[in-house]
Amino acid sequence: MTKILTKYFDAEPKLHELETYRKLGGYEALKRALGMERSAVLEEVKKSNLRGLGGAGFPTGLKWSTVPPEDKVPGPRYVVVNADESEPGCFKDRILLTRAPHQLIEGLLIASYVIGSKDSFIFIRGEYQNQHDILGKAIAEAEQAGLIGNNILGSGFNCRILLMRGAGAYISGLDTALLETMEGKKAWPRQPPPFPTVSGLMGRPTVVNNVETLSMLPFIVNEGGAAFAKIGVPRSGGTIVFSISGHVEKPGLYEFPMGVKLRDALAACGGVKGGRKLKGVIPGGTSMPPLMEKDLDLALDFDSVRAAGTFLGAGGMIVLDETADAVEVAHNIERFLTHESCGQCTPCREGSNWSERILERLLEGKGQPQDVVNLARVGENITGKVICALGDTIGMVLKGYIDRYPDDFKKRVTPHG
Amino acid sequence: MGKIVKYKLNGVEREAEEGRLVIDAAKDAGVEIPHYCYHPALGNPGNCRMCIIEVAGAPKPQVSCRTGVREGMVVSSDSEAAKRAQASALELHLVNHPLDCPVCDQSGECGLQDYYMKIGQYQSEVREDKEHKDKRIVAGPHVMLDQERCILCTRCTRFVDDVTKTHELGIFGMGHAEKIALAPGMTLDNAYSGNVVDICPVGALTDRDFRYKVRVWYLDKTDSICPGCARGCNISVHTNTARPWHNDGKRVARLKPRVNRDVNGYWMCDEGRYGFGSLDADRLGKVLRLQPARTELSWEAVAAEVAGVLKNAGDGLAVVASGMLSNEDWAAYQALFVDTLKVKRHYFASEPDQVGVEDELLRKKDKVPNLKGAQALGLESGSFDELAKNLESGTVKTLYVVERDLTKVYGDRARVLMAKAGTTILQGPNKYSLGDCFTYRLPATAYVEEDGHFTNFEGKIQAYQKALAPIGDSRPDWAIFGLLQKALSGAKTSGAVA
Amino acid sequence: MTPTKAPVQSPFSAEQEKTLLAWTKEYPYTNLGLIEALRSVQDWHRQVEPAAAARVAEIFGLPFNHVWGVVTFFPTFTQWRTGAQRVGVCHGLSCFLAGSNKAEKCLEKTLGVPKKRATADGKFSWEAMECLGACEQAPALQVNERLIGKATEESISQLKDMKR
Repeated sequence: MTKILTKYFDAEPKLHELETYRKLGGYEALKRALGMERSAVLEEVKKSNLRGLGGAGFPTGLKWSTVPPEDKVPGPRYVVVNADESEPGCFKDRILLTRAPHQLIEGLLIASYVIGSKDSFIFIRGEYQNQHDILGKAIAEAEQAGLIGNNILGSGFNCRILLMRGAGAYISGLDTALLETMEGKKAWPRQPPPFPTVSGLMGRPTVVNNVETLSMLPFIVNEGGAAFAKIGVPRSGGTIVFSISGHVEKPGLYEFPMGVKLRDALAACGGVKGGRKLKGVIPGGTSMPPLMEKDLDLALDFDSVRAAGTFLGAGGMIVLDETADAVEVAHNIERFLTHESCGQCTPCREGSNWSERILERLLEGKGQPQDVVNLARVGENITGKVICALGDTIGMVLKGYIDRYPDDFKKRVTPHG
Repeated sequence: MGKIVKYKLNGVEREAEEGRLVIDAAKDAGVEIPHYCYHPALGNPGNCRMCIIEVAGAPKPQVSCRTGVREGMVVSSDSEAAKRAQASALELHLVNHPLDCPVCDQSGECGLQDYYMKIGQYQSEVREDKEHKDKRIVAGPHVMLDQERCILCTRCTRFVDDVTKTHELGIFGMGHAEKIALAPGMTLDNAYSGNVVDICPVGALTDRDFRYKVRVWYLDKTDSICPGCARGCNISVHTNTARPWHNDGKRVARLKPRVNRDVNGYWMCDEGRYGFGSLDADRLGKVLRLQPARTELSWEAVAAEVAGVLKNAGDGLAVVASGMLSNEDWAAYQALFVDTLKVKRHYFASEPDQVGVEDELLRKKDKVPNLKGAQALGLESGSFDELAKNLESGTVKTLYVVERDLTKVYGDRARVLMAKAGTTILQGPNKYSLGDCFTYRLPATAYVEEDGHFTNFEGKIQAYQKALAPIGDSRPDWAIFGLLQKALSGAKTSGAVA
Repeated sequence: MTPTKAPVQSPFSAEQEKTLLAWTKEYPYTNLGLIEALRSVQDWHRQVEPAAAARVAEIFGLPFNHVWGVVTFFPTFTQWRTGAQRVGVCHGLSCFLAGSNKAEKCLEKTLGVPKKRATADGKFSWEAMECLGACEQAPALQVNERLIGKATEESISQLKDMKR
């Protein structure tokens, strides 16, 4: 199967070093891009059907083209790499950063060239200290080689890359909360409009892209947008790197073309652990309802998964086998959401905690049938009425598990609680 | 004004300025959309999620405090879905709210209560125990904080960050653990701290002065103007006469700012807010001659006597007044002392005792409301040093004092200076420290007991209204001047009183 | 009006003051360095106390209530003194499925202290963490932001012998 980002992961243990990366054709795409008109590079990105792989699936080229041009809005503009991977189930950015930091740096430089960013940022979660160090080294190597800094590869293009760490809040991974964190504030999400591409970091036009998304750019520039688009499905090009964990034989990183069948993805990681029965597959990270056995032939791409009632997210796939208990799983996720709710808006701050406490009561054997109805109702009252996506997931998760595993919930209630 | 566009609100076609927030446009149209965090002077963080509306064509409900009116927009704030969303937002506000309304000062003017009665779901679904936080934090000299009641709307933190820029309060912690609290080591002691009580939509921030005094539904409210400085903040006087035993017999329970964008916005300072003690203490009620012996007189009798004194005083008469007088008072003052008696010595400057701190927000240096009213009539004040000299030298033999405490002007020296004058008259609402040393004492109404106008430092003429009945025999200053004016026309030339 | 009072004496050494100042200049805007500066403080003091936050606020020219809000918001910053080795147990779903509850109990037993409290010698403390991004190595732990995957009772019981 076609691989883009992880192509050399097995064969090249020193891929993280500049020398190895360049030997394999690294930074050729940057050179090529710098020789092109910025609009021409943007055109290739649009043609590629690359979509944001941090979870939202927004078309990257379209996002970039909403940045106002310099003649309309003069002054600095920024590209920020969102390396604040924190969605439970996702670890692909960690491994991409560990193994292929230059792939990201090259992609970031290409994006910075198109956007016109002279100061580009990599915002990495603080817990990724190893990856922070690896990136620091890679940036230093690239600076020394004239790939970062002034007059990159003699093109006249200047760009610095600045590293910045987060401080342990999941919500910082949401683009506008990330910008707030960068600005030294609480990670309270903003309420667009305006969107970051118009008013982002310090009110300047800012593109925030995920590690994986930007890492795709060298391929797109080298091979052309059309070649990338061809790999995936009609409205979503290229590949996707799944982090697969949970009840599977071989948890790990798996890169597939967009639209890979769930069945094939499961087969690649050795199937359900111990040959047990499949209970469900969380496709993109714990913030979304699971897919079920009936979905095994579903194509895993943004639109198909959405049509199946859940989300592809950031490809943080968690497999649940028959030993998993839906109430325990839902409780684990709601507890997480309560802990990570930023507290800005009331429905999320209060609703997450309330849901967690009701689920806790179910786990303690003190649940009544009415509690399950109420849980679903509370969830519904939160989703769609809050400031950001974290709040939305509270209700989606509750409904997702209650609808799919009614028996697990029934087992936890008694008429008199 | 921007472009006026047509839009539909709850089925009715309306007009509004393009981009005006739906919550404001609805209010203009008489439709109140529930809200806590939004405040016109403090912005629209959109965190309470109460003001949810349905906008036709939008994929999900919107908050009306962050949605601008557009041409052709169709908005409902009272559709089933909108009402359900508002009710559920309210339900989530109440999950951990202590519901201690019976002992909460905010009862009767609480956003939670009001909306609960209007849109609440009545049947509680909460089986979980309430979470407990600190209930009795002394936030500052004027304000108590109850964290349990707080709904984290952030109005108060925005006030101390954006309006006073004093930054005493903050939201600390994250998510469900967050609380409004004082920043460690700080006290909510800025000059405008009382405003946080007004803007708190619930009972989290209460007024220490008002706490546990009167139930708000027993209060009567009257529009007035703060007499505390030359700004003339628009205020509402909250009086408690229905149940006097509830407030230790004090008639004025509290003062609240009234919105006037051109004068004070939404705010008033603590000096003005808490400076109403003299309205119910130390008041004059009887018309008295104190020298040589204390004698109660009728207004007619005293007018005749004092008119005689004034007429005979000639150049030896000096009048002390203050910017506390209303425009009506000043007009009567002018008719009496300037036009009729041709008095040359007027002393009403705010220096030295009626001046204080001025700042960029509201407070003005002159701590009286109406020096402008005197200036508008061309009245000019001499200095109090000059008056002292004239008293010392015996040039001034008759002293007429209106609404001013000479002890504050001269300190201990006031008693000596007063003794130099032959006849002294005190007219005003309060006795002050030397009230017993005057020859005559004429009780005047306080500003809350009369209708009148003050002219503020910018020349704005503002009306205040009578909130309470006068104490005892007291009459407005202008009425007393009028009585004297009338008596003067019939007064004898030589003095009847030694 | 009460100004933010600067502590009489800086809670930082001259060298540390220099580091904090450097964070104000690292990025195109001063405030962009705040989180990193506070991370330094957490490293030095193993917590961020009000006096330290007040000094950072002063260095960055920010109101104290803002900085204290940030300090109390982010889980990395503590208002209790962590151990020299700060251990985190991942509570993400994959780690939960792989027995993070057991790992947590084992850790509590090994270190002999409840969560968010340092051992008597100050060497260790532990906390529950949200997803560490190491789901393929569930259950995962971290020690001072360095990952330890596939934690077992054995590997946890050896933690105490770890050198920083």
